[in-house]
Amino acid sequence: MAHPSRKEYGFIFLVLTVLTALEVGVVYLHIGRLGLVTSLIGLAVTKAFLVGWFFMHLKSDSKSMKLTVAIPFMFPALYAFVLIAEATWRRIW
Amino acid sequence: MSASVAAEHADHPPAHGHKDDHGHAPPSDQYGTATNGKIAMWLFLVSDAFSFGGLLIAYGILRSGSHTWHHKAGELGWKYATEPKLGINFTAGLTFLLICSSVSMVMAYAAAADKDRKGTLLWLGLTILGGLLFLTGQYHEYFGIWAPGLTKEGLTFGHSAYASTFYLVTSFHGLHVATGTLYLIITWIRTARGKTDETDIELVGLFWHFVDLVWILVFTFIYLL
Repeated sequence: MAHPSRKEYGFIFLVLTVLTALEVGVVYLHIGRLGLVTSLIGLAVTKAFLVGWFFMHLKSDSKSMKLTVAIPFMFPALYAFVLIAEATWRRIW
Repeated sequence: MSASVAAEHADHPPAHGHKDDHGHAPPSDQYGTATNGKIAMWLFLVSDAFSFGGLLIAYGILRSGSHTWHHKAGELGWKYATEPKLGINFTAGLTFLLICSSVSMVMAYAAAADKDRKGTLLWLGLTILGGLLFLTGQYHEYFGIWAPGLTKEGLTFGHSAYASTFYLVTSFHGLHVATGTLYLIITWIRTARGKTDETDIELVGLFWHFVDLVWILVFTFIYLL
């Protein structure tokens, strides 16, 4: 397996730190609810991907390993979207 | 590979196609150089992610379906004090702390890959410190150390969906941090005795990064949204 590069880890650390600061900043901007939800979820998913791809070494793992991890995660995401959208719709209407 | 393990290898090298004594299967077409332990850890982490997924989806449904989330004193049907809001700045600090301990974890792995035991022990030690500090922070948030905690400010498990989901999700994650810290301490001791190699460090690293990854999502859904 490729030798882990400390410089790469350092860069990912900086990116994660900046994204975390952005997240807190977005909350204090008091933008609209939809904008807040989409930007925060986008930032969180990006950070989670960076941790998985670089720190958990999925980047240098085989395709099968990547699929073994990625495919199951699609289902909770699908359930979350459908069920939460349905609950929201029921509240609004 | 540590001296004692190398010695073991010399006595009886792995037969063709079979695992060597350290559990390292020869590279396979499907999973490359991933050891059986690593594949098993990933399968466990995916199943554990479903546990968190279930809790977070339930939280999402309850919150998006409710007209009132934070209850205020005097509200119709609410007989308690106003529920406190969650502190964002403090938990942003905890988030940064976990990110730092994720970095020290990969540095430990890099040192182990270089067969640098002293460096591995140093970085593992810093990762353990990160875990202990996070747990201390979470204890302070719940019960208060230098200021009153949420339990004293009126956020009571069982009074509202807001309180119950908060304590359930964050304590479930806290248990994972405690387990991970214990796993790291055991790995530190085994490393000091020369009983580990980089694959052992990678395994504990996978669990620890998963704990950080879950907190990234918990921080967003529970605290920021």
